[in-house]
Amino acid sequence: MNIFQVSYKNLLRRRLRTMFTIIGIMLSAWVLVTLLGFNKGYENSLNENIENMGFQVVLTAKGCPYEAATLMLKGGTGLRYMPENMVKDVAGKPEIANAAPMLMHAVFDPNKGESGGTTVFLGVDPNTYPSMKPYLKFNNEKGAWFSDKAKEVVLGFEAAELEQREVGDLMMLPGSEDEYTVTGVLSRTGTQDDGMIFLPLKTAQSAFKKEGELTMLGMRLNQDVDASAFEEELYKLPDVQVVSMAQVKNTIMSLVSSAKVIVLSIAFIAFLIAMFGVLNTVLMSVFERYQEIGILKSMGALPKDIFKMILIETTLLCSIGGVLGILFSFLFSGISEMAIRYFLPFAPQGALIAIDTKTVIFSFISITAIGIIGGVYPSLRAANIRPLDSIRSE
Amino acid sequence: MKKTRLLLILFLASALLCVFADNVFAAVGCDLNDPDRDVKRLFPVSTGYKTEYLSIDKLGGQSLLKEVETRLGDNFQGLYETIDVPYTVYTIYKGKETIGYIHGINQKGTYGGLQVFLGYDTRGNITNFYYQKLTSKASDMRSSGFAKQFVGLSLSDFKDYDPKTGKSGNQRVTAIKNPNTESAADFNSTLRAVKKNLILMDIFVFNKKEAGK
Repeated sequence: MNIFQVSYKNLLRRRLRTMFTIIGIMLSAWVLVTLLGFNKGYENSLNENIENMGFQVVLTAKGCPYEAATLMLKGGTGLRYMPENMVKDVAGKPEIANAAPMLMHAVFDPNKGESGGTTVFLGVDPNTYPSMKPYLKFNNEKGAWFSDKAKEVVLGFEAAELEQREVGDLMMLPGSEDEYTVTGVLSRTGTQDDGMIFLPLKTAQSAFKKEGELTMLGMRLNQDVDASAFEEELYKLPDVQVVSMAQVKNTIMSLVSSAKVIVLSIAFIAFLIAMFGVLNTVLMSVFERYQEIGILKSMGALPKDIFKMILIETTLLCSIGGVLGILFSFLFSGISEMAIRYFLPFAPQGALIAIDTKTVIFSFISITAIGIIGGVYPSLRAANIRPLDSIRSE
Repeated sequence: MKKTRLLLILFLASALLCVFADNVFAAVGCDLNDPDRDVKRLFPVSTGYKTEYLSIDKLGGQSLLKEVETRLGDNFQGLYETIDVPYTVYTIYKGKETIGYIHGINQKGTYGGLQVFLGYDTRGNITNFYYQKLTSKASDMRSSGFAKQFVGLSLSDFKDYDPKTGKSGNQRVTAIKNPNTESAADFNSTLRAVKKNLILMDIFVFNKKEAGK
């Protein structure tokens, strides 16, 4: 029987204690992997959400900058309007690769519920908007974007579900009896576009009596353009504000960084809990086996053999606990994500917990290593037990 | 040993559920927009309510779907009327006593989705008719006069109503007047929604209760 088998059998002799120790390490590993996964997932999803907006720079009418950011992130109503002529001048600048003028409008629908409700419409130019958002796909091959000025609509996935519309069905705008034909239903995107009803810009301007006005101009810049310099130039325009994705991203990322410090602190506490848990359990086990270790030594076991035996026990505990914790973090990431979404005031769409190979390897190694560190002191104590003292003791 | 095995099976089952839960997109259901307010409005003497989510899929699967379609006299249609639609049943209480139920369904209309809610007494008679959502040229269908025509009706009245033709049904059903003859399609859709609502409630609540007696 080699020393590894002895250590393994020692663990099996005290099953209950071994199980509880493994559970403790498992919980620490679970917390650690989930927190690290959340750190990565939240940042990735946020980046993806911002990229999915399809615009690098958005020009809106002057107002609170956070209002504009909210408008882009969550959807909503445009409270102020810009003259279309001025926007056309901007869209014609050589720095711009593509520009999509938009009119967002919220209409009170008296036929929604007992006291009415609001429906959000987005007037877009069918020649520019779809190419700015290539991730928008139709849910069947019959779907197509509408033509300019037509009385046609394209529905986001959830809007279509609510309105029970399919391609070819008719719709009416609240407060109007004009008929609009559904030309397409978009696949689910996980963004605010899912709840949107799109219609041609000119049609929207006419239907909502906003001729010559726009809410936003979304822009993509040419690759060689200095975005900051271009934004500075846009700031000179009267009564408009510029919201760049870089700004929005930086603001949100600085908030996320603060949250990261807290998250990593909790992860560090999980480390400490694991380490002291292991130290305590293994030390107790050494004290319990005081006489037994003495007998082993009197039979010829060297201090290094005893040290190895205890350290192998510790390593086994930590690695089994670590593997189970990682397994749990994978299996229950859905529930963890649901809880995070419930408690967080703003959670981007997409996977909030991203557990990749790096996170798994790092967590396993660090949990095992920290456990082994916790096991060094008990192992040394065991190695230094004197056979005569132990046999004499009661 | 048996206990350990059982725990292991339960653990694996819950783990699999968690893994696959993300991939499931439930079909769209029909809930009251503001249950506290709406329940009080439809049942002014109520003191509380319980919400239950039921679906044909979970209660009986394909065979139950066939039964519902046969009783309805029409097949479930399109993308949104499917076997897995979650239906919300509100049980209304006055103190500890059940005084009625509220149940709504989505129905495809000419210009948008209709959300037709019915209030029931404990015997399955309609006490309230309510369009939570209606996009139609016949806005007079939202009038209280139109809604009142459904009060007192029950599943037996709609038993012979044919949603495909919009005909038949007993005298009380044929007596329901369409306030706007130009919107016959939405009127027929409403009657189909009412019949479907009655059938589902018979399956979800009333039939079950009879069987339990």
